[in-house]
Amino acid sequence: MKADTRRLVVHAPMIVLSLLAVFPVWWMVVTSLKPENEIFSTRLWPASPSLENYAYVLDAIPMIRILWNTFAMAAATALAQVLTGLCAAYALTRWRFRGSGIAQGLIALSWLVPFQLTMIPNYVLATKLGMLNTIAGLVIPNAAAAFAVLVLTNAMRSFPKDLIDAARMDGAGHLRVLCEVVVPNLRAPLASLGVLAFISAWNEYFWPLLLTRRIEDTVVQIGLQMFMTQEGNQWGAMMAAATLASLPILLLYLVLHRQIIDSFMRSGIR
Amino acid sequence: MFRRQFMTTALAATMLTAPAAMAEMAAKITEPVTITFYSYNLASAGLGKDTTEGLIADFMAENPMVKVEAVAAPSNEILSRVQADIVAGQQPDVAQLVFRDLIYAAKDLGAQPLEDLAGDELKAHSEGMVPNGLALGRVDDKTYGLAYTFSTPVMFINADLFRAAGLDPDQPPRTWAEVKAAGIAIHEATGKHGFFPGAFGPIDGTFVYQSLVMSNGGQVREGNKLTYADPAAAEAVTMLRDLRDSGAYADIDVAAHMDTFASGDLAMFLFTSAIQSRMVKAADGNFELRVVAMPSFGDKPTAPTNSGSALFVLSQDPVKQRAAWELTKFLTSKHAYTQITSKIGYLPLRLDIVDDPKYLKDWVEANPMIRPNLEQLTRLTPNVAFPGPNYRQVESMMKDAAAEAVLGTGDPVEVLKAAQERGQALMPADG
Amino acid sequence: MVQTLDATFALPARAPSRRVLWQPWVYLAPTLATLVVWIYWPLIEAAYLSFFQWNMLPTATPRYVGVENYANLLTLPEMGRAVRNTVLYILGLLPLSVVLPTAIAILTQDLSGPFRSLYRSLIFIPMIIAPIVAAVLWRWLLNEDHGLVNAGIEVLGLTPVGFLKDPSIALWTLVWITGWKLIGFATLLLSAANGTIDPGYVEAARMDGASRWQVIRDIRLPLLSPTILLLTMMTILFGAQWSFVYINALTGGGPLQSTTNVFYLMWDYGFQSYSAGWSATAGMLTFAGFGVIAMLCLRLMKRFAVHEG
Repeated sequence: MKADTRRLVVHAPMIVLSLLAVFPVWWMVVTSLKPENEIFSTRLWPASPSLENYAYVLDAIPMIRILWNTFAMAAATALAQVLTGLCAAYALTRWRFRGSGIAQGLIALSWLVPFQLTMIPNYVLATKLGMLNTIAGLVIPNAAAAFAVLVLTNAMRSFPKDLIDAARMDGAGHLRVLCEVVVPNLRAPLASLGVLAFISAWNEYFWPLLLTRRIEDTVVQIGLQMFMTQEGNQWGAMMAAATLASLPILLLYLVLHRQIIDSFMRSGIR
Repeated sequence: MFRRQFMTTALAATMLTAPAAMAEMAAKITEPVTITFYSYNLASAGLGKDTTEGLIADFMAENPMVKVEAVAAPSNEILSRVQADIVAGQQPDVAQLVFRDLIYAAKDLGAQPLEDLAGDELKAHSEGMVPNGLALGRVDDKTYGLAYTFSTPVMFINADLFRAAGLDPDQPPRTWAEVKAAGIAIHEATGKHGFFPGAFGPIDGTFVYQSLVMSNGGQVREGNKLTYADPAAAEAVTMLRDLRDSGAYADIDVAAHMDTFASGDLAMFLFTSAIQSRMVKAADGNFELRVVAMPSFGDKPTAPTNSGSALFVLSQDPVKQRAAWELTKFLTSKHAYTQITSKIGYLPLRLDIVDDPKYLKDWVEANPMIRPNLEQLTRLTPNVAFPGPNYRQVESMMKDAAAEAVLGTGDPVEVLKAAQERGQALMPADG
Repeated sequence: MVQTLDATFALPARAPSRRVLWQPWVYLAPTLATLVVWIYWPLIEAAYLSFFQWNMLPTATPRYVGVENYANLLTLPEMGRAVRNTVLYILGLLPLSVVLPTAIAILTQDLSGPFRSLYRSLIFIPMIIAPIVAAVLWRWLLNEDHGLVNAGIEVLGLTPVGFLKDPSIALWTLVWITGWKLIGFATLLLSAANGTIDPGYVEAARMDGASRWQVIRDIRLPLLSPTILLLTMMTILFGAQWSFVYINALTGGGPLQSTTNVFYLMWDYGFQSYSAGWSATAGMLTFAGFGVIAMLCLRLMKRFAVHEG
């Protein structure tokens, strides 16, 4: 009896929380399967499920192309942030040097600058550099992130110094130490950081909205916007597009969820 | 960037813009030229995009020397895109902008006055256009924007809800007093919502609000003086407040009014006719949809104002100006309006095509719901844009105050007065 | 990470090194170059520009107006409300981003096996849903007339709730949507931290006859405090900014400006108005305001954080 109560106390909140987390996503999929005149019904499963919304979305916008753009953009951004963060964190933890405080301060403080402030000037610069409509234009301004540096600096702080010193004794250069000693030992934080950066780049909205002007060059969040207008939202199509926009990342998560959660638990992001 | 910009500013002001403004538009296009066309219809999937793309393709087929590069941006973002591109040195050529930005486009964005650009050609082109419609794009007696896609507020009616409340949908309310009575009756009999004007909230409805104000003989501004708290204008708002207090006014999420009507929970919905095709689809199989003209204040004729956009020629280069003007003409031609009206659902700026079998005759006969809207076109009153560098803030304050006056608890007239006083400080000074 | 934040925002406590080295700068270069070009350069120019009235157009001349832009923004009557709402957003988010996740992490620490990984995988899902999709989903679910949540409420015989319509509720609705995406992530972080607590401490306390609650109060919570403080600080610094997407997509600050906050107000009055002066001023104010708050937070954290060992 007592054990049962305790089990209930443990499971009940987790079940409620899991349902809250999953239900809206489920509802998105259900709505995407409803035909236009059934959209407003509250049935938990459509009376006559159909894929017409998906057909419409694929016909209305070049979804596959857009998904590919988004993937390339998100992967490149994640990779860039991990690499720049790795180098910066190595510098901040390996050496004590004049100006390190200023460097750290600049990095941390950059986090607080509201994106609304930098958007327009950056657009002007990106245009002058010929980065309109390019994946490079979406990636380069986001190639470094305070968050990445902070997480990796912390992870490296707790990294055994002896290992690095031993490798240095053997005559390894800094770059080799970084690649061959540090990186293999920081797999968990690197992986979870990469995943987080990928997700947030995938979900990026305001910058691509400004920077891409052709539908073929845009990313999924903007593709989604195509179904919301001042003349009303095309709910069915939008839900289908939202499902397609979330699907790759959901699938990725489904396949890798154990590793992702694991690396989070061991990442030292805490 | 900004500092670099200061440099270019000085240069541009002295060297570039001045001569460009004087240069005359080229008479003909003799070699290939590429122009940009900024359009918000392209930024949403569906008929608007397909039709616009079709028109651009038609234009390029007719003008093989001109290549049109289309730039898509949502309607609430399009001005910042145009502005950002001018700042970035990517001069836009033709832009579809909403009417609230009219004065800004004319005075600051460098839109070309069409009389100066194309004098006689403009005269020839505007033959057959609704004079009221042409007036929409005028600032200080010059036409800066050529009315393009636009429509007026109409009242969508859910006939089933009328019947359910024992009312006759064939006798729809024509005055605000009748709207009030019907709204209360429907709300009490069915538990559904009576009336809602798409005037407030995040979905732009300033044109609905302005239509109400002007239909009661009011104005939101006269010259540089704000007048939306003056008696005639304020009365329109107190009327809505009265509807709300009486229960005739739907108590719903202002950001989802279209969905509430589409789901069959609202009996009367005053909003742009541009959403008509969507409402027809939503109503199909669910309820009977009707469309009537906007209600009036007693016997006073209504003064419907417009939502929608005009085309602005922004090019500075003479050859591009010619190409831009040709595109503008094409997009406001009989052929284009036939497409725009029948496929997207906006109003035709050229009424002579309505009864022309070559153009819209068959379509109008098959779609009588456009009639109330066409009829309102004769009383079309231009939407009033605000001047000066703070025009957006001024308009924003007015919208917030009107919403507060109708939906809030304070005295509506006092709310409007307070906002008007603050807004006046942001208006340009006279003289 | 607390230590990291601490060190970076507050500058190192130890004596600064006098060694001038070039190597670290090579490694820092990619990060610093990116930040300087794409964040600090615009920031510096914004600071300069905030004293001008200008719409950025090459045809217009910037006009020096001194601190007029600041005075205009700070004295907007809407500003008071926006600041108050910003505080409400933050206070409302804290239970969802800190209190609830802490409780869940401790409650479920003994959970093991397939259930644990199942729960953990499921509650992580909102984190990967795009904010714009989340906004759309919740508007859909919460509508008063055709939303599923209200349909459920009506089945229970209660009156429907105007989640996004009622000025006294709408802000909390947006808080919930913002928090919905955070709960799972915060829970994972706290579970991870909780998992690293040396069982020896707990065992020792038990031997001394400490109750379950005493163990939580005297051992777990103090040892979790760095993570708790980190999440608290993140919520304070970024909570209002996280809500921005939802305000922008769902309410536009309404109904009756009940959901506006400083970020939205600045977007509305500054960034949407094409006046570079106003928007630069708005951005500078936000940056400065949250910069000061960050410093205060760190000072408090330094005083209260308990480190293991």
